[in-house]
Amino acid sequence: MLQPPSLAKHPAGGEDAAESRIIMTIVAMVLSILLGTGSLVIGYSQADFTDPVRWFVLLGLGWLLAHWQKWYWFSPIALFVTIIAAGYGVWREFSTVWMILGALGGLLGWDLSDFARRLSYAAPTDDVQGMQRRHLERAGIVAVLGLGLALLSVYIHITRLAFEVAVGLILLAALGLTRLVMGLRKY
Amino acid sequence: MILAGIVTVRGEFIALALPFVVYLLAGFLRSPDEIKLEATRHLSNERASPNSDIVVTVTVMNRGSHLEEVLLEDVVPVDLSLRVGLSRHLLTLPKGASYTFTYTVSGPRGGYGFENISAKVNDHLAVTSRRVQIEAKGQLFVFPPVMRLRRVAIRPRRTRVYAGSIPARAGGTGMEFFGVREYQPGDPPRTINWRASARHEELMYSNEFQQERVADVGIVLDGRLRTNQFAHGYSLFEYSVQAAAAMADALLTQGNRVGLLVYASFLRWTLPGYGKVQRERILHTLAHAQPGGSEVFSDLEHLPTRLFPSESQIVLVSPLTEDDLTPLVQMRAQGYQVLVVSPNSVNFELSYLPKDQYAELAGRVVRMERTLLLHKVQRAGIQVLDWDVTEPFDLVVKRKLSRPPAWLRAVGR
Repeated sequence: MLQPPSLAKHPAGGEDAAESRIIMTIVAMVLSILLGTGSLVIGYSQADFTDPVRWFVLLGLGWLLAHWQKWYWFSPIALFVTIIAAGYGVWREFSTVWMILGALGGLLGWDLSDFARRLSYAAPTDDVQGMQRRHLERAGIVAVLGLGLALLSVYIHITRLAFEVAVGLILLAALGLTRLVMGLRKY
Repeated sequence: MILAGIVTVRGEFIALALPFVVYLLAGFLRSPDEIKLEATRHLSNERASPNSDIVVTVTVMNRGSHLEEVLLEDVVPVDLSLRVGLSRHLLTLPKGASYTFTYTVSGPRGGYGFENISAKVNDHLAVTSRRVQIEAKGQLFVFPPVMRLRRVAIRPRRTRVYAGSIPARAGGTGMEFFGVREYQPGDPPRTINWRASARHEELMYSNEFQQERVADVGIVLDGRLRTNQFAHGYSLFEYSVQAAAAMADALLTQGNRVGLLVYASFLRWTLPGYGKVQRERILHTLAHAQPGGSEVFSDLEHLPTRLFPSESQIVLVSPLTEDDLTPLVQMRAQGYQVLVVSPNSVNFELSYLPKDQYAELAGRVVRMERTLLLHKVQRAGIQVLDWDVTEPFDLVVKRKLSRPPAWLRAVGR
């Protein structure tokens, strides 16, 4: 009789000890959630569309509460809501920058919430600090790169080429490069 | 979002999607190409006693590409409990590196198989995730505690040809007086019975001793739920297992050929054998023995006595019920010498029931019923050891089984 690999939190060390070890991730996650929901609040407020603002505030608070209560199912829902809200804002022609920041904050919040959940499976002897540092560096680089590209696409207008076409070409190129790199790495 | 951008021909939607695209690309680009993990497992001891500590050491080697995030989880058999350390670790495993972790487990009697180590491999953003099973087999046997019994006196009707310690109901060399016969040239002078010889002028007589040989012994462990299981989940089965282990050890040490039959939801038969190897076999069987219920084996009528050589010794370890009397008498009638080791179910059950007048009255009734049953069994010529499990088994055996009862010592019974 074997027990399936359970993903319950390690009993040793206690929850407080586990939380204190991933404090960097928790802080980054809280900041990301604040960035995401705060940007949406500002973007919607600037457009005098104040009804959803309180819901965004509640979403942010609920997200933090959900993480505190280990309701990890909440995080993907919160990400989905921020994306929908940002998309709706773009459609209603609210400030694109705030909407991008809102979506990016949601993405980072979801990523770090999931990472914090994965880190809770680590044993007390595992190198949690190193993993946190590396993950935050990479997530930060990805966020900066994504934000930079998004802002560039907002501010730079190519007159001779439709932006949609340009983006499509970029995506195709990225996909092609990815396949090429993955193919080369096999040899 | 990209689709919305294309449909509405608005670049802002695609701008909104760009961070997500970058995120996904970064994840896919850094996903490990080849996951090739190997593992070895070492147990500090593959044979243990119940609840003793066993240190499990697992080493995982990465023969594939660099793995940024690996969640290793050793699948611990369900009845074992972790005492020290953890069986789950989250780590980064570079190419060619290895990682070793140890933890300590303990558990009750049983046979435990360690199978695989589960590894969940993520890229550094957990965009891609793969779960692999790494084979690292191991076995742990937690044997029942074996009490050393000094001597178990049995007297089967038939013995084997090899010299041993069981009186063989035949004259020859031995320890116990068997009879007197006419002196034959070659008899040692110390065997001459001078008193008998003095009464006869022409003849001399020698003492003859009972030959001592080894015997065939079949131990039957009763694992029926209806005899072992009591209210509130209490069970006598562990005591029965301990008794069976102690009896098997003692009888094998005496040189006998011992087999074991576990009579539970199905029959588990360990073929008779001698010595230390047989002791191991029996302990392995006892380690796996579990009580169980079955329509077929709900009473002892289907006990396959033909597994045991005719007129051999059968040791039944069972708390006994009313229905068991007839099969026991039948066994005796077939010529088997039967010894019943019976953990006292009445005292056991009363020990955890509330001490009130109702329990006391009920206890008196069932105690009388049990006493009556044991008397009936004894009257059928069956030796009974009524074991109150609060007493150590070896002391009870020493007191009651170190010498055969007087009625059994008479030759021919």
